[in-house]
Amino acid sequence: MTILKVIAVLLTGFFVGLTLEGIARKIMARVQRRYGPPWYQNFIDVFKALSKRGISHGWIFDFGILMALGGVIATLAFVPLGDLVAFPGLDNIFIIVYLFAVGALGMAMGMVGSGNPNASIGVARALTQMLGYELPYLISIAGVLYYYKTSSVSGLMMAQQDTWTLFKMPIGGIVAFVSLLGMLGKKPFDTPIAPAEIASGPMVELSAKYMGLLMLMHTFSIFVEIGLFVDIFLGVSNYFTFLLKFTIVWIIATLISSVLPRFRIEQVVKFYWKVPLSLAFVQVLFVLLGWVF
Amino acid sequence: MAVDERSLWEKIADKLRSRSLWMLHYCTGCGAMELPPTMTSRFDMERFGMGPMATPRQADILFITGYLSAKTLRRVIYTYEKMAEPRYVIGFGSCTLNGGIYYDSYATINRLDYYIPVDLYIAGCMPRPEALLEAFNELMRMIRRGEANGWKKYKENYEWYKQNQIRSLGEVFVHDEFHE
Amino acid sequence: MMNSMSNTVEKLKRIVNNLDITKVDEREIKLELPNEQVLPTLLALKEDGYSHLSLITAVDWIDEGKFELVYILYSWDNGGKFLITTKINRDTPKFVTVKHMWPIARYYERELHEFFGIKFEGNNDMRPLFLEMWDDMPPLRKDFDPFEYSKRKFPDREYQKDVIHEAKIIRGDIDG
Repeated sequence: MTILKVIAVLLTGFFVGLTLEGIARKIMARVQRRYGPPWYQNFIDVFKALSKRGISHGWIFDFGILMALGGVIATLAFVPLGDLVAFPGLDNIFIIVYLFAVGALGMAMGMVGSGNPNASIGVARALTQMLGYELPYLISIAGVLYYYKTSSVSGLMMAQQDTWTLFKMPIGGIVAFVSLLGMLGKKPFDTPIAPAEIASGPMVELSAKYMGLLMLMHTFSIFVEIGLFVDIFLGVSNYFTFLLKFTIVWIIATLISSVLPRFRIEQVVKFYWKVPLSLAFVQVLFVLLGWVF
Repeated sequence: MAVDERSLWEKIADKLRSRSLWMLHYCTGCGAMELPPTMTSRFDMERFGMGPMATPRQADILFITGYLSAKTLRRVIYTYEKMAEPRYVIGFGSCTLNGGIYYDSYATINRLDYYIPVDLYIAGCMPRPEALLEAFNELMRMIRRGEANGWKKYKENYEWYKQNQIRSLGEVFVHDEFHE
Repeated sequence: MMNSMSNTVEKLKRIVNNLDITKVDEREIKLELPNEQVLPTLLALKEDGYSHLSLITAVDWIDEGKFELVYILYSWDNGGKFLITTKINRDTPKFVTVKHMWPIARYYERELHEFFGIKFEGNNDMRPLFLEMWDDMPPLRKDFDPFEYSKRKFPDREYQKDVIHEAKIIRGDIDG
């Protein structure tokens, strides 16, 4: 049963994630007055990338890619999709956050193993950006955990029977959403993957099947990040309403990102440590004082 | 492996490849000016699943625009050999066809297909974005029919291409102060 | 000619005797000098505010058997420009370097050595800068034949004339 549930979660991540990425490209095209690719474009891209003949850069490179993909898939198995929980009782937020670091570190290891200086710059930027957004996100989440006195994600979700956390703690919700933009690598926080500056950064040496696996990893990690946000902030949901809320959050992030330019990396960290971090502290103070709507 | 025989898997893969072409553009000269209209809202290349790519490792098309001098041809060959197979080359404008206006210069390469295999040429100076889109569609048809076999030709006739490169460039991999 | 530039010319006349001045433009003055007076003039101009070395270039006067070196100096104070030119022998092209005055001159001199074959005494770094694996005489000399070189190095495309197609166009069977 658990195995079936895990497979269901992963298939949802694969199909819904890739479809939503295609829809995001379509939306971005429509914002820019273009027609845009078909919604199934990302499926074609992934299968095409897997069908090419790639170039490896040594075993650390291969292992890093597999570690990134495996780490993200393992993380996704713990995230509850509405009422579809693969490991009931284990969907703790700390487990998810720690496992998610495995994927990021695997990617960093593999990309630096490729030996390209652009990849090293990209990885350094990605980790710096993580330092920027993780802090306000975790502090805002800590306020939520303190308020509900539980750290289980499905427990947090079920505790929102009367009102959503987003309406109880609006400042924390906004901070978490801004940090979410940074996690997704959407503009204006797509500094690590800057095609015009450092030739797509960490992905610079990825050819063919490695690129396909990394695209899958990207899709799954989007699912983990937005899924956590939806579970914690957007109320009780079953499987289908979860996907609906997921789509709405993803489309809002896409709309924000399609009209903005890119920050420099020091601007990213400066922004995150000035505005969202101070707002997160304010929210935690309100929670401690009991001023919750 | 014969050039024109494809297994069933290859046929399916070719269908997919033709709908998702990523392009690395090597823009020297004025040809780069025709790409922004092709990519942006008027002609919108992304309708066909095409998009620009920043690195040769992920690109399917090497799109060569404008003049090639002896110095840039060397970089084009590096780039071409870095790309993952299957890879396609489009030569854009009369410069890649026959050297363009400066065919008699001491640094201008006169025909590109002598050094790397070119799948498709776009004639004209300058070709308009409509010609570009027509060429992309023609390349997709060629890929679907299995005719865009430049990368196989490069593997089969590697000695001939290598000999031509060495004849024009002296040697392909140089070691000077910029490559230390 | 602007006042500041005429003042500079007056100063130069005290240094250099029988100055050959050509007014190219409102803000552009060309001075033709003998070889040994180029460096003092450049130094005087540099002290007088013309401190930006825009370019060192050369012109090949093949009938006279001379190369003409051109130093272009620009002033950020008044926007004036001085062209200091001097002629050197074409068979043994040699001049002195100015890299101790303007460090950037190293690269201009490397370029001149590469494209004209002019040697600069005091500047020993004469590696090729733009050309790679060059195996002929310097290519910007007037007696270098680029077309012949291009034929030899870069094979041309051979065309076949489609006579029948052209005849059909002439007869009006198809629109050409």
